[in-house]
Formats: sequence, C-alpha cells, structure tokens
Amino acid sequence: MKKILVAALGAGALVAFAGAAPATAASADTAMLSVLHGVPDLTVDVYVNDELTLDDFAPGDLAGPLELPGGTYTVAITAADAADASSPAIGPIDLPLEAGVDYTAVAHLSEAGDPTATLFTNDTAQVAAGEGRLTVRHVAAAPAVDVLAGGTAVITALANPQEAKLDLAAGTVSAAVAATGTTDPVLGPADVEVAEGANTIVYAWGSLEGDNLDLAVQSVAVAGMHSAPDSIPAGSAGLVATNGPDSSAPVWGAVIGASLLAAAALIVGAARRRAAARAGR
Amino acid sequence: MLSARVASTAKDALLAALAVLLVSLTVGCTPSASPASSTPTPSVPPPAPAAAVPDIPRFSASLSERPALSAPAPVRLLIPELGIDVPVEAVGLDGQGRMALPADPAIAAWYRFGSAPASVAGSTVIAAHVDSLVYDIGPFAKLAGAAAGTRIEVTTADGAVYAFALASTEVVPKESVDWSAVFARDGSPRLTLVTCGGEFDYDARRYLSNVVVTASPIT
Repeated sequence: MKKILVAALGAGALVAFAGAAPATAASADTAMLSVLHGVPDLTVDVYVNDELTLDDFAPGDLAGPLELPGGTYTVAITAADAADASSPAIGPIDLPLEAGVDYTAVAHLSEAGDPTATLFTNDTAQVAAGEGRLTVRHVAAAPAVDVLAGGTAVITALANPQEAKLDLAAGTVSAAVAATGTTDPVLGPADVEVAEGANTIVYAWGSLEGDNLDLAVQSVAVAGMHSAPDSIPAGSAGLVATNGPDSSAPVWGAVIGASLLAAAALIVGAARRRAAARAGR
Repeated sequence: MLSARVASTAKDALLAALAVLLVSLTVGCTPSASPASSTPTPSVPPPAPAAAVPDIPRFSASLSERPALSAPAPVRLLIPELGIDVPVEAVGLDGQGRMALPADPAIAAWYRFGSAPASVAGSTVIAAHVDSLVYDIGPFAKLAGAAAGTRIEVTTADGAVYAFALASTEVVPKESVDWSAVFARDGSPRLTLVTCGGEFDYDARRYLSNVVVTASPIT
C-alpha cells in the first residue's frame, strides 16, 4: 500500500513539476503502454503474455507507462481472485505495439454494457507553441455523445469506442458530455486543464444506465512534442548597442545625411519620451 | 518483461525521490503527502505471490483527483553581484509566436509553458528587455558582462529560493539561436536568462543578437 502511495505521489510529482517533461518516452526500440481500468465495480488482475502484471487493479485507476519492446502482447483480464489467465473476463486480446509509439489499453464497457478492451494510440505529434492537444475517448456504456466546451459542441456524435481530438490554446476548458444533439450534460461540466505541449486525454467511462458515468484523465507528453517560441524580442532602443547609429549606414552622402537626421529625431524623441515617462511616474 | 521490470524499478526509485522532493518543496499541497515523507524505501519488496508481479506505477485517473500541472512560478530574480533584483511575471506568447515580454525592462518574464525551478528536468527561461525608449536601459543589460560562477537566485511563488551558478554567457546572432535548446523541457534542470545585445539595426529598431546566459543549480 505504502509503495503504491509513494508511486502515486511520485507520479503526481512528475506531473506537477515536470511541466510537460516526460518521465519516460518511447524510444526508437520500445513502445510505451499505459493501462486504464474503466469497468465499474470490478477489481481485476491483468495478465500480459500469461504473466500476472497488474494485481488487484481497481476501477478508475491508470497504470504505467510500461516501456516494452515492440511486438505483439496478449492481454487477459480476469477477476481479481483468479488463479491464472485461463478464464478471462475480458480477452485474451492481442495488442500489436509498434516501437516508438505511445499507447493506452482501456478495459471498459461496450455501448451495450459488456466488458471489453480497446487499444488506443496516443497522438504525440508535435503541437504548436502555446497549444495543447485534447483527446476525448468514449468508453462508457452509453449512446453516442457530443462533447461541449464552454457550452458549445466541439466534438459531435462520438460513439463507443471512438476518440476525437483537437489542438487548442493551452489552458482550462470547461468540458461537458451530453447525448448527441443535446446540450444537457450527462457528465460535467468539469474543468479540464489542457497542458501545453502535451496530449490531455479525457475518458468518459462507466454506465449511463448504472448511473456511474465518470471522467478519467491521462496526460501524455514525450520529448519533442512541444514547440519553442520563435524568438525573444528583448530590446528596441539600441541604447546598449555595440555599434553606433551610423555604422550601418551606406556610404552615399545623401543617405548618410538622412540617416543622421532620422537618428537625431529618434534620439530627441527618445529623450522626450523618457522625460515624459519620468514625469509621469 | 525483464527489461520492463528493471525499468520500473529504476523508475520507482526516481518516483520515490520525487515524492520526497514534492513533500519538501510544497506546503500542505496534499494531506496524503505525509506518509511518503517518512524514509523512502522503494526497495521494500511487495508481498510476492507465486510469481513476482512487476511494480508498475498506478494512480487514480479521476479528473477530480488530478494533481496540479504546473510547478510554482518564479516571482523574483536576484543577482547581487550585478545589482539585479527584479520581479518576474509569468508570460506566454505574443500574437506572433514569440515569447511575450513586459514592456518595462525592469520586469522579467518567465515562460510559463516551459520548466520551472522545481521541475525535475529542463530549462527555466527568464527573459527581459535590455532597453526601451520609454524606460531606458534595463537591469538585464548587465548580463552581457557577467562572469562564470556569478550567483543567481530565483524565488518562486511558494517562497522557495533556488540558487544557480552562472555557467556561460553568450552573444548569439538571433538567426543562430537554437530556441528548441533554450526552451528544452528535458535534460538536467537549469536556468536560462535571455535578453538582447550586440549590434543594433537602427532602421528595423532591433538588436541583431540575443544574450543567452545559462546557469546550473547549486546543490
């Protein structure tokens, strides 16, 4: 228990302090796999290639990321008290994991309410500076939904087990989920912070009929996913320049004269503005 | 699976260290932080069933339990040797994809999308105008002549003070600045101070170079 707590805190610290810095990232040789448990009321064991990998995995929990060599892995999900993977509640399913790619495998309910599992590929393509990616995944026993941001539908007719994504200005989005074509939320509105340079993945999970719909969130950031500003314009007066005002002027007399005049005008203007600024303080 | 197990063990040690860091750097952030503040012993073996189960980090994905995304923002930059003591504001981008700076050169700017002093990795970027026709020459003008080893202190919003030692001062033509390196979020934690300098284009009203100071944490 303590160990799990430490790990959870550590993960929290990573998110809290790393900004978008990844704890680990898929290298050219390995794939990254996270696992989300989105089946309500069912604690499970997860077997990977017949080896017990997640013991007593609770609904709403996210595990990983696991760094795995590229290849196909067989995942079976059993009741928590199963002796082995021979009679899974979900699966076995094959997960083809490609090296260099970030995945989340989700155990969840189908639209009809049956336990199933879906492998999602997390989009880690570079985003523009100042922007973050928001991915929404419908893994709930519920009909197709619209996703509302600030009351407006930004994603429409999203059905289980589909995803939709968009890049938007980083910051907090008030997100809600409503039956498609409606604006009356079945989930939310809830504030979702879309981190800059990262993929913020929101899952709608649970069951509409079971009255336990909920939102889960995962952040995925890998090296090279964010963009840097183009430049830092950090001076406009030339007051500490290592060159004089006329050193860059062409040699022709007329132009020199004009430049000097312009420079003089600027200097006078600057002095006035400075004086004005001082007087105004 | 073996490699995954090894990787996760190393990760656990890191995570445990981070958990302690979290506890030491934040004040009352989360009540559940206190159990982890006791000796971090990630090497404690889990009660092993028949076969060892890999120790994979797990946490609640509940939106309502999501931890804060950002580390405390820098609020003050102090370089006693240079007589620099300026407030720091959090900024993003201007409308043209450039880092947005306050007009007043005596107010520095921290790029809020990048790393912060408490981040486990990456470059904390703090920049200020070197001068302005309105405000005159700013404190960052002194950076161009700063020597290696100069002590730099950054205070964050939670009151913590991070000390750095100046490692290098470079005047780099603007077209040659590697901005992805300046704003890198990986690599060892470091501080990068940026302003303008070098020659000035009196027609375009812009400096031709950036002064880029890098500094390493003093531990």
